[in-house]
Order: sequence, then structure tokens, then C-alpha cells
Amino acid sequence: MIPRLSAAIAFFTVLSAQFCITSLRAADEQAGIEFFEKHIRPILVSKCYECHSSSSKEPKGNLLLDTREGIRMGGDSGEAVVPGQLDDSLLLEAIRWEGLEMPPDEPLPAETIAKFEQWIKMGAQDPRDGKAALIRREINFEKARDFWAFRPITNPEPPASKSKWALTEVDHFVAAKQESRGLKPTGDALPETLARRIYFDLIGLPPSVEQTSAFKVAAEKDIAVAVENLVDELLASPHFGERWGRHWMDVVRYGESTGMERNATFPYAWRYRDWIIQSFNDDKPYDRFIREQVAGDLLPYDSPEQRRDQVLATAFLAIGPKSLNETNDEAFAMDVVDEQIDVTTRGFIGLTASCARCHDHKFDPIPQKEYYALAGIFRSTETFYGTDATNGNRNPSRLVSIAADGKVTQIATKGTGKGSSTAVVEKQLKAEWAKLRKLEVQLNKNPSVQNIRIQRDKSEDRVQQLSKRLKQQKAEAATTEDGTQTMAVLDAASPDDTELRIRGEANDRGDTVTRGFLTIGSVGHIPELDSSTSGRLALAEWLTQDDNPLTARIAVNRIWQHLFGRGLVATVDNFGANGDRPTHPELLDWLASDFKANGWSVKRTIRSIMTSRVYRLGGERSADAEEIDPANDLLWRANHRRLEAESIRDAMLVVSGKLDVTPANGSAVLDAGNGIIGRNLQTSKFDSDNTKRSVYLPIVRGYVPEILKVFDFPEPSMIYGSRDVTTVATQALYMMNSDFVTAQAEAFAQRLLDDGDLTDNGRVDRAWQMALARLPSEPERNDALTFVTQTSQSFESSESDSVRQKKAWTSLAQSLFASAEFRYVE
Amino acid sequence: MFEFTRRNALKSVSCGFGYMAFAGLAAAASAREQSSSNPLLPRQPHFEPKAKRVIFLCMRGGPSHVDTFDYKPALKKHEGEAPGGEAGGQNSQKGRKLLSSPWEFKPHGDSGLLISDLYPHLAKHADDLCVINGAWTDIPNHPQALVQLHTGNFQFVRPSMGAWALYGLGTENQDLPGFITIKPPARLGGAQNYGSAFLPAVYQGTRIGEQGDSLSKVQIGNISNSQLPEDVQRKQIDFVQALNRNLADRQPLNSQIDGVIESYELAFRMQSAVPQVMDTSSETLQTQKKYGIGKGLTDDFGRACLMARRFAESGVRFIELTHEGWDQHKSLQSKLTSNCGATDQPIAALISDLKERDMLKDTLIVWSGEFGRTPAVRNQDGRDHNATGFSMWMAGGGVKGGMNYGATDEFGISAVENRFHVHDFHATTLHLLGLDHTKLTYRYAGRDFRLTDVYGKVADDILS
Repeated sequence: MIPRLSAAIAFFTVLSAQFCITSLRAADEQAGIEFFEKHIRPILVSKCYECHSSSSKEPKGNLLLDTREGIRMGGDSGEAVVPGQLDDSLLLEAIRWEGLEMPPDEPLPAETIAKFEQWIKMGAQDPRDGKAALIRREINFEKARDFWAFRPITNPEPPASKSKWALTEVDHFVAAKQESRGLKPTGDALPETLARRIYFDLIGLPPSVEQTSAFKVAAEKDIAVAVENLVDELLASPHFGERWGRHWMDVVRYGESTGMERNATFPYAWRYRDWIIQSFNDDKPYDRFIREQVAGDLLPYDSPEQRRDQVLATAFLAIGPKSLNETNDEAFAMDVVDEQIDVTTRGFIGLTASCARCHDHKFDPIPQKEYYALAGIFRSTETFYGTDATNGNRNPSRLVSIAADGKVTQIATKGTGKGSSTAVVEKQLKAEWAKLRKLEVQLNKNPSVQNIRIQRDKSEDRVQQLSKRLKQQKAEAATTEDGTQTMAVLDAASPDDTELRIRGEANDRGDTVTRGFLTIGSVGHIPELDSSTSGRLALAEWLTQDDNPLTARIAVNRIWQHLFGRGLVATVDNFGANGDRPTHPELLDWLASDFKANGWSVKRTIRSIMTSRVYRLGGERSADAEEIDPANDLLWRANHRRLEAESIRDAMLVVSGKLDVTPANGSAVLDAGNGIIGRNLQTSKFDSDNTKRSVYLPIVRGYVPEILKVFDFPEPSMIYGSRDVTTVATQALYMMNSDFVTAQAEAFAQRLLDDGDLTDNGRVDRAWQMALARLPSEPERNDALTFVTQTSQSFESSESDSVRQKKAWTSLAQSLFASAEFRYVE
Repeated sequence: MFEFTRRNALKSVSCGFGYMAFAGLAAAASAREQSSSNPLLPRQPHFEPKAKRVIFLCMRGGPSHVDTFDYKPALKKHEGEAPGGEAGGQNSQKGRKLLSSPWEFKPHGDSGLLISDLYPHLAKHADDLCVINGAWTDIPNHPQALVQLHTGNFQFVRPSMGAWALYGLGTENQDLPGFITIKPPARLGGAQNYGSAFLPAVYQGTRIGEQGDSLSKVQIGNISNSQLPEDVQRKQIDFVQALNRNLADRQPLNSQIDGVIESYELAFRMQSAVPQVMDTSSETLQTQKKYGIGKGLTDDFGRACLMARRFAESGVRFIELTHEGWDQHKSLQSKLTSNCGATDQPIAALISDLKERDMLKDTLIVWSGEFGRTPAVRNQDGRDHNATGFSMWMAGGGVKGGMNYGATDEFGISAVENRFHVHDFHATTLHLLGLDHTKLTYRYAGRDFRLTDVYGKVADDILS
């Protein structure tokens, strides 16, 4: 009773103090306002309003000082004035020239600064009512929709072009543009050039000598039919998904570890990789492809298999980088949400909504409020990325398991490495047992020492706790034996809206924002968000509904980029104000509406582009055309494109005969198991000498395989729809000296030498055909033969003839790999 | 028509390239005609730079500032007491007792800079050091703090300081990587600490060795060929280049092929240049001794420092050396003694060597850990993480010597005067390199990014 009584007394004391304060308040307020009018307002008007008022053209730093609301709310850097709080009032920091230096030309006199301090201490009385600041920031969506990317997708009629050159609808759009600029397209590519281009573009592998010649024969009869047939054949190849799936993996920042400061492995990320590859091979309608990734766990299903596939598609939202060492739970959760918003918006609709985390988007019509409308959806979602609680991981996570009957359960992350949770608990338990036994012995010897007894009891409790935990973990592990373990997301237990976070500070909460979507992308019917769920299903519908102006445009533009080296909109991940404008807006719209009208079929769109005349162009340049359009924006010739790292590696493996074309079963990261890289997992675990296709190499953040990294593989923590192409010496060093290239060159040479029917001339021809899909020119053949002879002579004469021959042919083989032609497609 | 002449030039030189003497490498490389497509070519800074290059000595783990560069007599006076004052009131200080430094501080040089007895060699260069006592960072955890020290941001993957410098300035010597990091840690952000994130991959740091490697043995990857003698490989490259020139003749306007041709010539030169620069055994015995090479304690970091000098001389833009193991929660006395012992003489030798070569004036040396250590302790021979205040120092490259800048409170807990956040460190470093940190931007995901994000202030008071 006593403590409660004293609490009550304290309460009344506080209360009565408050009464006193209130009675004094009115007088204080009046004095404060007078002080403001006398000392503060004149300074604000003369020194600040020019850049920080509703009458300034562009308020600097989004800071408006001409209303009470504006000065309290502050700008991008934070609250300018907090009554009574000198340290929290950024305005003071600025006028003291500490950090921010305001006014910028000359600091205010010390006595003026002292007045500001006094005013804030007094409570910063400010009579300036009004909402001018807020009104200014309101976005006019009507007007914003005039921007090209936000207008509805049209279905323009292909323009009639005068020339006979144009064959397909795509060509008519392209030709019309060229004609308007007086541009003439260059000639068609040679059949062998075209064959190589088609093979790399569709399956990422070079054609064999036989495949090239078969295409040449067919092309002589009818080039159009030959292209159609080859395109159809390769679209049906399982290698198609391995190529096009990898493009998508760039966009969704595919990685098999958390990256960041504590880099923990994701042993099950590869399931999502396989899902992507299979989706492209199945030509899964692109709208469904989106829905499954955003809300696969919430979609209806007909079979357990379908259920399984749909749930593991949601790993899309789980595989992002995570800052496991973050100590602030709320900040961690909001960072995960931010990453999910980023990949969803940039990946599917090409908008950088994440820019609106801390303030309204600076360039695009995305208010901060709408960011938090989306954030509510992802906060109502639980992310299962499966890193265990050991090794200083402050933010562990479970996995989900999908049983054979499709039932989804949450399971503990079952570590496989030394640092696995079960192993750790086992070890702790063993140590605790040992300690307990020791204490028992001590206690027996000195039964009167109280301290030992306390320790003994503590230890006993701990042994019990640990045993219980171990038992629980083992039980959890056992129930998942035959389920499919995967990263995924599921709806959280109690979905709810979240609050706007002031300046993006996770713990600085503003008003609650009802979950919803971006106004700018909302046209026509807006899907209903069932507030008892996360809302991801409605979000998925919103992303894929017919009226959405962005989704289909983004999709076909990505496809176009992979076939021409550059999108019709070059900034494939950004269709906002800071992105590029389309070179062919009508063509982009035609492709987008054709795509939607035909079941969002990726393969069909690829086919319709590849069977066009413009895809068939050669790379030859004319000085005239170069003059008019040096950047080839209007597609009067083929672009020379550097192969992606994966294709460079895969092509070497094809030519050396070492490529293992079977898909990987899992990943080197699965074999390595759970753990923190550099802590209890050594990076050597991921050095794999496998000869499978590059798409199956382990993509551990921070430890991307060397060949991929050397040839501009994108940083796997970043959303990266279009890769850089650099040409640097490290690439040359790799081609000249790496064990991998040397080994492939040796195997390539051996293949050439093993064919006993070939003369040296024939060998050179064969080498060229295998590596470059063409025959050497006469001088090239002669040079090559001389090179082989001279090289073999330059080795020690003590070595046998056949050894020197082998070395010389190896050097030739390596030279072909190293040549510019090998790594470019025309 | 630039390309045609350049291509002809390449034709004439590419056959005859062979060995090039080390001494002439830098000059020859900068004089050489380069392709406009090379993103690593030297670029004009925003204004006249004070420093042309940076040598960043990263003391990984968080060296104790109050035992090295931040003299706090009040610790002795209040030994064993709970820290009072504003800083002492922080939650992190609860249950702690002030521990004075077991080492003595003495004034050194004309400036009388106070340095503890742990650094007898470095103390001789007191008049060159600008000791920043008001440094601070956001989080007292190694992973976040180390990543923030390198990239400015631990929340997201961002380019490292070296990558930004390379992006802003390019590099002087195309025969060597422009950003080299010697034995960086594999964890605590790992490659992120020298990564390029959204900047083009060419700007990422080139790693030499990793933690635990002996520097006398490591090499940059793929720098030599295990199969072919040099003359035979030269023939092979000539053959590759002939193929490339054939292609270039067929595609006269395609400048990408020029880039490939050039990359092979550069690579071939790198093969001799890199091992030559890394080979510290070509230095006189006297020099090696000066760096402490050959003595167990100082051998490895001595090699690193000597290598750094050689890289600096050869025109490498950004060189980072990591020295591990400054996390003295325990064994402060013995471990800090051995850490300082291992680095003191090598760093002093680096400073005096650069001075002798008249290079200190345009080489910025930075010494820093990811944070400092608590003046108040729970363990009598160990200090914990202190992010609110710590010390770093700079020397050469446009900073004033023989001065202290900023200060912590009387015990060394929090920076109170001229506070110098990691963002300020980045802003100041870029400034010394002739780059305005608010203008060095890169557009990614629809907006312009900076190393300093929206923060950072150049510490004008330390500029010479």
C-alpha cells in the first residue's frame, strides 16, 4: 500500500504544479509575442525570407520560415525551432554557423543570435498562423499526369513508311523516324553474324559450327523464315530461362547473403533463382510473374506444387541486403521495408519511390505520405530470410517450410555450419553442465558459502533453459525434414497501417497513414485493400491492372534493351522526371499494348522484336548516317555489344567442350550453410571449380566470382537494370593470366589436336569457327599458322615436339578468347 | 578523326613494348596518349588541390585516444571515480570508473604537441601532425562504424571514399591500379569498405592480400602468367593485337575496339610495373631497416608502409593500409604497447621518407580507427568502444602541422569543441584533393548521390 500512496501524492503534486503553470501562461505568452515582434520577426523578414518563405521562388531546403507551422516543422534537415530546446533547434545551429551556415553571406551579430536563443528559451512564441507552407507542397496530380510516362498507354497505328525495307510493325515505327531525319538504315547482317547474335541474345551461348552452317543454309533460302525458325527453337530451349532469368536477377538484386557489415549467408536464395529461370522458360504471363513475387503467398492455387512455387516466388521481397548488426529494431524493420518498396517500385514501375522516405519526392509526384501508405503494406508483412541468431547477428530470422501438401509453416533457421543455432546451444549446454558440476563440488566442500550456492542455482536454471531450447529447436528441425525450406514473406499476425516517419527517422512518428498505392500510378479502377490483410494482394493487382501506365512500358523496354543494347528509354529503372525520354514513344506504347493484349507473353514480344528487319541490321556505319545520328538513337545500324560476363565465361566453356549444361542442384552457398562470412565461414567455400553455366555460380554479396566481377557484373545489393560496360586492364590480365582462361584454352587446343583428320589449315579454320562463328580471312589464317610455328619454336628444345605443339595451339586458342571479337556481338 | 590518329599511334608502339624501367614509369605513363573512353584518366579537380594522393592508415578496432593523442590529466585526478559532468551522465557511462592512462604524455617538437610515450618515433614528427581530438561517429559498433568511416553510410551500400576519389580525379599512372587497399578485413563490411557500389566498377579498390597474409608473399591477382615466359607472352599479345586491329579496320568507327587494344598494352605493362613497385627488397638495407623490415614486430606493417610510399611515388591516387587488432577491451597495457610498437616506426619512416622526397606536401596521410575507447572502464586493464569522441590525425597534403584541432570534454568521453564527424572527415579529405564534396555527385536511381550525403563540413581551420 505504501508505494501506491506515495505515487498518488506525487501525482497530485505534479497536477497542482500544472495549475500554477497554466495560470501564468497567458501573461508569458503575451510577453513572448512582443519579444518576437520586436527582435525576431524583423530579422526573419530581412535575412531569411528571401530564400525561406512562400514568396521565394524555390524555398531552399524545403524550409519555410514565414509561418509558425513552417518554422516548427522545419525543412529537410529537421525542426528549425523547438520551443524551449536550444539544442534541438536547428535554426540556432544555422545562425551560429555550426554545421549549416546561415545567412550564407555573413553571420548575424552575436547579440542577435542571443535574442534568438532567448526567444526559444521563452517558448518561441509566434503569432504567425497560416498554412501557406503546406499548400505549396501539395502535388497537382492532374498536371503531373501530363508527363509522358504517366499518360495512359496508347495503341498507335504503325505509321506507313515509304520504303520497302520495313517488314513488321516494329520496323514501320523505326523506319518512320529514320525517314523523318533523312536516315537510311545500313545493310542486313551476314547470316553467321546474325546467327551468333540470335544465339547469344536468346540463350547466352554461342552457336556450334554445325548450328551456324545450318542457319546459313536456311538463310540462303529465306532469311525471314530462317530467323523465325531459329528464334522459335531457341525460345523453347531450357537455356532461354537461364539467360533471361539472369537479366531479371540483376533487377531484383539477387544475392545469396545479407551483404553489409555482418554478411550472413542465405542458403536458400537459389530456390528463387530457379523459380525465375523456370518462369521465363514457362513463359509465365508477366502480370502473373509480378503477382507471384509480390503476393504469391496470398494467391489461390489448384495444387500443392502451385502453392509451393507461388510462396517461394515471394523470396523476391526477402533476398535484399540486411543490416544485421542494427541495434534499433524499428530502424531495422523500416530499412527492410524501404528496400522492399525500392525493388517493387523500381523493378516493376520504374519509379524511385524510396526517395520519398524522408520528404516528398523532389522530382516525381510522390508525396512522403504515399511512401508510408506503401510502407504500411510491407510493415504488415513478415519477412523470412533465414539467418540464425549466432555470431553477433542482432536480427535473426526464420524461414518458411512448405510441406508436400502445400501447408506453409514458419520454421527456425536450421544452421548447417559450425555456427548453427542447434550446434551453438549444444555447446553452451555442455559448458554449462561442466560449470554446474564444478560448482556442486565446490559447494560440497564449502556448504556455507552463500555466493557459491547462488551461482549453483543460477547455473542450474540455465541448464534447464538451454535443455528446453535445444529440445524445441531439434523438434522444429525434425518437423521440416521433408518440407521445402525457403525464404519468403507472409502476412504478419496483425496487419495495420503505419505512421509517417518524420524525416525518415524510424522512431520519429507522425500521423498514421492508411495503406494504399501511389496516386500517380492509379488510373481507373483502384483495387480494394482489405485492411485485415497486409494489402500485398491488392498491391499486386494495382501493379498489374490494365490501366497502370507504367508496368507494361517498363517491361517491354527492358526486353528491348536486352536485344539492342539500350532501351527505348535508356534509364530502364527510372521513368520519372530524372529518367530519359523515349526515343520512340509510339513504338514503346505499341509494344506495351500489344504485350498486354497478348497475355503479357514475354516470349511473344521477344519474337515479335527479333523477327523485325531492324533486329537483323548489320553493324556497318556510314559517314552520312554517323553525321546525323552518331549515337544510333534511331537504330540505323546494329550496336556492337560487349557480351555480359556470364556469356564470356559460358562461351569459353562451350568452346573448350567443358560446359556442363545441366542446371545446378542448389548452390555452393547451400553447401556452406548458415554463417557469417569472414567470421565462421571462409570465403574459399564459394570458390567453385564447377563448369555449369554462370547463372548458377554463387552470388555472395561482397564475394562475386572473379570473372563476373572483372566484366562488370552489377553490385548484387543494387537494383541494376542496365549494366555498365567498361574496358580495363584487369580484364586483359584475366584473359591473359587467369587459371580459368588458361585451362579452357588448353582444353580448346586439345579438341583441335584430337581431330586427327584435320590439317593445320583445317585446325585454324575450325578454331575460328568455334570461337568466332566465322572462317578466318586468308591473311588471318597465314598469320595464325606462322604464330603457331614460331610459338612452338620458342619453347625449350628439351621439351618434346608434341608438348611444344600443344603449348603453341593453346596460346592460339587463348588468343582467340582474348580477342575483342570474342567478347563482342555485332 | 581523333581515333584514326590514335589508332595509328597504337599500331606503331604496340609491337615494340617491352620492359620499362621503374623510375620512368609514372612519367611515361602520364605522358602517353590515352583513349577518351578510359574512365581512369586524370581529371581536373574542382579547384587547385593541396593533396594529390591519400595514404589512409586504418587502425582497425578503435585505438584508445586517451592513451595516445588526447591527453586527459583529469583522469588521474578523478581516478576510480564515476565520470561526472554532462558526458558522464550518459547511459553508456553508468557503472564505469575513470581510468587514467598508464602512459605519460610529453610535449614534442617546436609545437609542443602532446603525444604519449607509445609513439617515440612518430613523436619526432610532431610538427607535421594535425591531431584531430574532436572526432566522432554515430555508432559504437565495429561493423557500422568501420563501414561509415569508409563509405559515410552504414545503412545502405554506398561507394567507398577511395572509389569517390578515383571517380573524381582518375589516376596518374595507368600502369597501376588507382586505388589500392592492403590487407583489408574480410568481415565488417568486407569489400564494401573499398567497393564502388553504384559507381562504375572500375573505381573499386584493388585488394592486396588479406588479413593474416604475410605481405612478403602476396601479389595482385592474375598479374603474372604461370605458363608462358615473358617474350613468348609478348608474341601472343602481339598476335591478339593483330586480330584486334583487323577487327578495328573492319569497323573503323568503333572506338570500343581501341579500348580493348589499349587494355592489353596496359595489362602487359602492369605485369612488370606492379611487382616492381611491390618489391620492397630493391630498397637499400638502410631504408628497409628504417621501416623496421626484418624485425618481427614491425616487419609486416613496415613492408606495408614502404609499399605505400612506392605506390605513392608511382602515382597511385588512394592507398589504404589496415592494421588490425586495436579492440582493447582487455589487456590494454600489453596489446596497445605491441600495436603501437608495430606501427610507430613504420609510420614515422613513411613520413620522413615522403619528406625527403618532397612528397609530404602533396600526400595526405590519415591515421584513424573507426572510433576511440572509453576513458571510464569496467575492467581495470581494458577500455570499451567510444563513438562520441576520439582522435585521428592527418599529416602533409595541405593540413597544418603541429596542431590540435577540436577537443573532447575533460575526461575524453565526448567531442565538445570543433566536433569533427566522419562526414566532416570525408568533406575535408575531398577538399584537400581539390574536390567540393557537395559537387562530387553521381546520379543513380534518379538522384544525385554524394559521399557526404547531406552532411559534412570542411574543417577550414586545419587547412594550411
